[in-house]
Amino acid sequence: MNRLLLTAFGLALAALQVEASDPFSKTADEVNTRTVKLFGSGGFRGVANYGTGVLVSPDGHILTLASQMLDTSELIVHLYDGRRMKAVVVATEPELDVALLKIKVEGKKPDEPTGLDLPFFDIAAVAKRPVSTPGDWVLAHANEFEIAMRDEPVSVQRGVIASYSKLSGRKGIFDFGFTGNVYVVDAITNNPGAGGGALTDRQGRLLGLVGRELRNSLTETWINYAVPIGATVEVRDGDKVTSVSIPEFVASATAGKYKSRPRTVATAGPGGYHGIVFVPNVLERTPPYVEECEPNSPAAKAGLKPNDLVSFVDGEPVGSIKAFTDALRKTRPGATIRLEVRRGDSLQTVEVKLEDAPKPAAVPPKK
Amino acid sequence: MPLRHLTPPCLLAAFALVAVGTLGLRADVDKAVTDAEGQRIAVIDRVRPAVVAVCFYGGEACGSGVLIDAEGYALTNFHVVQPTGSVLQCGLPDGLLYDAVVVGTDKVGDVALVKLLPRVPGKPFPFVPLADSDLVRSGEWSLAMGNPFGLSLDFTPTVTFGLVSGVNRYQPPEGKGTLEYTDCIQVDTSINPGNSGGPLFNMKGELIGINGRGSFEKRGRVNSGVGYAISINQIKNFLGHLYAGLDADHATLGASVATETEDGDLGRMVVKQILDEADAARRGVKSGDQLVNFAGRALTSTNQYKNILGVFPKEWRLPLSYRRGNDTKEVLVRLMGNSDAPVDKPASEKPAPGRPAPKGDGGPKRPGLDKSPAKKLFVEKKGFANYYFNKLRQDKLRTAVAKAGDFAPLAGPWTLDGTIELSDRRGDFKLTLIDGADGLTEAKIVRNGIEDLVKPLKSNAPLGELQLPQGSGGMLSAVYLYRKLLTQWNDGFEIGFDHGGHEPFYPPPANGKTAERLKDLRVDCEVVRAKHGPFEAKFYYALTDQSLLGCEVTVSKEEEPCELFFADYKTVEGRSLPHRIEVRSGDKRYAVLTVKTYTLGKKAS
Repeated sequence: MNRLLLTAFGLALAALQVEASDPFSKTADEVNTRTVKLFGSGGFRGVANYGTGVLVSPDGHILTLASQMLDTSELIVHLYDGRRMKAVVVATEPELDVALLKIKVEGKKPDEPTGLDLPFFDIAAVAKRPVSTPGDWVLAHANEFEIAMRDEPVSVQRGVIASYSKLSGRKGIFDFGFTGNVYVVDAITNNPGAGGGALTDRQGRLLGLVGRELRNSLTETWINYAVPIGATVEVRDGDKVTSVSIPEFVASATAGKYKSRPRTVATAGPGGYHGIVFVPNVLERTPPYVEECEPNSPAAKAGLKPNDLVSFVDGEPVGSIKAFTDALRKTRPGATIRLEVRRGDSLQTVEVKLEDAPKPAAVPPKK
Repeated sequence: MPLRHLTPPCLLAAFALVAVGTLGLRADVDKAVTDAEGQRIAVIDRVRPAVVAVCFYGGEACGSGVLIDAEGYALTNFHVVQPTGSVLQCGLPDGLLYDAVVVGTDKVGDVALVKLLPRVPGKPFPFVPLADSDLVRSGEWSLAMGNPFGLSLDFTPTVTFGLVSGVNRYQPPEGKGTLEYTDCIQVDTSINPGNSGGPLFNMKGELIGINGRGSFEKRGRVNSGVGYAISINQIKNFLGHLYAGLDADHATLGASVATETEDGDLGRMVVKQILDEADAARRGVKSGDQLVNFAGRALTSTNQYKNILGVFPKEWRLPLSYRRGNDTKEVLVRLMGNSDAPVDKPASEKPAPGRPAPKGDGGPKRPGLDKSPAKKLFVEKKGFANYYFNKLRQDKLRTAVAKAGDFAPLAGPWTLDGTIELSDRRGDFKLTLIDGADGLTEAKIVRNGIEDLVKPLKSNAPLGELQLPQGSGGMLSAVYLYRKLLTQWNDGFEIGFDHGGHEPFYPPPANGKTAERLKDLRVDCEVVRAKHGPFEAKFYYALTDQSLLGCEVTVSKEEEPCELFFADYKTVEGRSLPHRIEVRSGDKRYAVLTVKTYTLGKKAS
């Protein structure tokens, strides 16, 4: 422990000496102490079982996104100093897309003070500051791609706020519940596991929570956004419509008074599950070349192979990955689709029996 | 590459916006901002000439690189030169293509050294200085340069600018044990296909890393805001090997190490299992011991352990501190090789943002390649990336060593007289090396009335005889090899003789005391690896003045080698010879020989 403290002290000194040319090292260090790495359920077919959160009380309350990762009884938290602890979900508010967690300390009851005395962001104070405006520089601090473990610091990225506006997310296709204004950022911040990370200004003051991985439904491009800490939404409680903001949610949930609401599940899915992984969709009309098939998936069982070019779905030509995806939306699990596939010089017919999309495995995390 | 056609209009649009914005604001901009911008541009202008576009022979873009010395040596990724083959071409921002050849490789670390051939003989190349990448901190600015998407047809590099997102990052191997990024630098600076192998600079224009990898998932193989560069400090450890044309390997401790407990505070790193043949085991490390510090860095987590281990070549000796009970002990550990069988090809080519390259050796079918002058600079040999450069380093070393005197005529009988200090007594000694009538050399030492005699090449000589005197690990055999090296150089080693790159060497303190910290003893050396009869020897020459500091002779792999440390060099008949020779084996000092006279006989003709 002494060694750790010494190291931290040494780093702080170094930061001071080179501050003029290096304005963000200190900020990154400070924000990192208020950021946690989270490990939960998932880890299955592109669904991350890890994420990020920010500490909002010295007692170990954590604010993060209301993601599927929380669907476990074994949430694991790695603090900035390498401590590995368990946590429980205190409350979730899907309309705000946030959840409040609390670190569990051995021998203490969930409603007892933990005595942790951790560095934290004061959410009530944060919300009083004006919103940032387009053109402002921002920093994102998050454990994207699960790069950091234990005492390794989360990643820091720099960007500019591109706009403060409502998102045209893929409503009805992904369960993106939040409809308020968000910060849209020009940097690629919304990577796997980044959700719930801290978006700060250059002084390290919290502005928002890094959002989910989301694709714009109009252009098929990925969008990078953060939910502002001041966000307010209307929620329906029976016949009553009330408004709730993130600071109100945090205050009420911290006091153990928030009436938690379950996460909504996707209403319309992406169609039946096939298990084809296409080549990276980098063009407007990327031809649907198969890169690989997920093991034991319907596509694998049907014998689709890497480099196959899918040309027709049920007799309809598909010229791009997007056209294929659109065609599949009309399908449902259990249906059989007929694909015409170009393999080498020949055209082959392959029948794929679609299945239910695999559920994220609710296995206890090992991190 | 359809992307190439897509990207330029977008880029142009972006530039146009920036230009308009800047012009409009210029008058109001704070001087500090324009100064910073001016400095940045100056740095980019300074380093730009040294940025390399690595190409297939013929000029098709394949990746990036950077020149690190005036002779035309350039760093790039291994996965960039894997498809090009050993003879390739490199474009420089002067718009010209240069013939080039792969010099050395580090497949696990994904690094390769190439050499560009000057178009005018002897003309120096522009190059960049190497930084100390241990000083790089997350949150600092960085510049990446290179040729993403093969955009630049005149080899003017693309510049991207961004933050260091993290340091000391660990990214597991992507192939069969290759392309493991240890202790690497993570950046949000745009790294795209084609940037592979290119430089990452700090804002002083010093090289802090080689860009080579990114985290990609569902977005395709383009910048996702998470790129990785191999730290230049890791590359520095391998640079001697790369210059020597080696196919360098990484290392393992020969032990499995894990955190003691999962929960709670940072775990202690504890040895779970250790191989008997691991040097760490010979140095006394047992399962259950806590590893405290390795190579000067504290051990706190599994990633950290992999990070520290991953930056060193195999066979390097490094200080390791371990704790058992209340005792902490520091020992010098030889690292074992990582991969026994060399891996030719990564199993998955997914990770590397190198431009998706045609499979296989892009070489032979490329027109003009057969006539490339670079072909003369390539010699194939097992275990080497390019033996031509190994021979080059051997010859350079030999020239440098020649200043110690020419021993070739003195291949006759040798006699060393002086005093010997053993652990429990001291006295006079006489050591002789005589070539007998049977053609076998006889090495003999007499001290305190005791005589030991070895005929190193006698067939079926028992191991114990080759290791005489007892407890020395084979001092007589080692002195025999030393004479062979001085008088015959490579001709004396019929099984193998090559340049082994660079290794640290730790001459013990002359006063016989134990050093407080092993790292204070470290002297970086050039290594000659030589094999003769049953022996394997390594000779260590100081990088600074090419003086021979010692050697390590292995008689049997199962036994501790004998180590000789040469000091107190004096001139004897115009030749420089050590007058203090310390003999060690395992953790023990066997003896110190203080030589009073050397009698070196001429070879009988």
